[in-house]
Amino acid sequence: MFGFIKKDLAMIKSNFKLLGVLLIVYIAMGFLGQMDISFILPFLSVMVMISTFSYDNYNKWDAYAVTLPDGRKNNVRSKYLVTILLIVVMAIATFLLTIMIGYVNKEPVNYSELLIHMLGTIFGTILVLAFMYPIIYKFGLEKARIGIFVAVFAIAILGTIIIQYCDLTFLGKTFDNLENYLITLLIFLTIGLPLISYFISLKIVKKKEY
Amino acid sequence: MTNVLEIKNLAKKYDNFALKNISFSLPQGMIMGFIGENGAGKTTTIKAILDIINYEGEIKIFGLDIRKQATKIKEDLGVVLDDMFFPEILTPNDINKAMAGIYKNWDNQLFNNYLQEFDLLANKPIKTFSKGMRKKLEIATALAHHPKLLILDEPTSGLDPVARAEVIEIFQNVIAQENCSIFLSSHITTDLEHIADYITFINDGEIVLSKPTNELLENYGLAKCTAAEFKKLDSQDYLKYKKNKYDYEVLVPDKKAFKRKYQPAVIDRITLDDLMVLMIKGDK
Repeated sequence: MFGFIKKDLAMIKSNFKLLGVLLIVYIAMGFLGQMDISFILPFLSVMVMISTFSYDNYNKWDAYAVTLPDGRKNNVRSKYLVTILLIVVMAIATFLLTIMIGYVNKEPVNYSELLIHMLGTIFGTILVLAFMYPIIYKFGLEKARIGIFVAVFAIAILGTIIIQYCDLTFLGKTFDNLENYLITLLIFLTIGLPLISYFISLKIVKKKEY
Repeated sequence: MTNVLEIKNLAKKYDNFALKNISFSLPQGMIMGFIGENGAGKTTTIKAILDIINYEGEIKIFGLDIRKQATKIKEDLGVVLDDMFFPEILTPNDINKAMAGIYKNWDNQLFNNYLQEFDLLANKPIKTFSKGMRKKLEIATALAHHPKLLILDEPTSGLDPVARAEVIEIFQNVIAQENCSIFLSSHITTDLEHIADYITFINDGEIVLSKPTNELLENYGLAKCTAAEFKKLDSQDYLKYKKNKYDYEVLVPDKKAFKRKYQPAVIDRITLDDLMVLMIKGDK
């Protein structure tokens, strides 16, 4: 499997410069006390990895990968592992940079709030990955893009309708009750969702013909 | 002799095309040329052999079922596919590192030797390579883990005659030194006449023939005759014929027997191209 990981890392190495530049922009904005862009960096990691699907698709890599030992499984596994690795590295980098910026600016740092913020960012980006990857494997990147756009649009309309016409006070109470378990729940979902997503993707790829 | 590849009753149905009851086998240490016109089913057969598509029937490689023991089998397979490979933003160096983590027997040194032999720069992205250079890289990648069976779909397409000769020589060396077997499809049938021990011919999803190349080229022949001579022929004695402006070309499966029966018939040595054209376009 390490060979597939090396291949995916080699594909995104040209994007490392972009991620580096964004880290510098993040530091500069932190020192200037501008808006918080910490969520962008892990999110960008997912976008960078999604771009690798285009290159794979163009050269029909997925079909070639099937001819390699354990190709179907390791090709999918590598995509998930490299994406999660990138997300975690970028989230930790922004976490450490935020502490550093606070220290240099002599501002108090709320560690628990920062930790929840980092976990929230990791969870949010992993949610995107968990949702998108099975769709990409099932329908291909081009169709998945349209599908995701339609899904987001439908969710937005549905959400607006629910908020306007339904009584959601019970939800507020539920969230209040969950507050104490929020971090545990986030960690559980952050591990569970990509695992479920991975097994769905694997099932799709194992049946797929190229 | 042990067969490294055995296909029995392979079938695959699409809306507008079907592989029908494909059966043939490749003995160990031999080269089999797989010929047929575009759309005849060569790539579909290769995709089935490599487990890229689902199929009905039985495919055994090294005596093992590809659907049950794919990982074990694929460790010893070297593959060149017509238009499927690593993403073109990668370099040969990237491929070398990746493959070292994929194949247990990956040989870094051998891969680099092939790159040098083919004049391929290790640190240039594949997208900067010409079509011929890409094909050479695919061949180097297929050979660098000492495979026991090479499955090659159009491995010499896009190569100039010098490069083709170079690649064919490498295939012959691999067969001699590594006890490897080769199953290759090609449009360039003259290459196959030189190197293939067996020829398997597929047309419209069906195997037309699968025979040793020597037997094919020695026994089959192309008889030339006039309209009057053609009318005297027994249709059992030929496979197909083509009517030209001034004569008839007749494909005969046993030229010695044909010559004995129809003296003084003129029978030319057949080429694989003649065979393909007459079998596909000829009348019966």
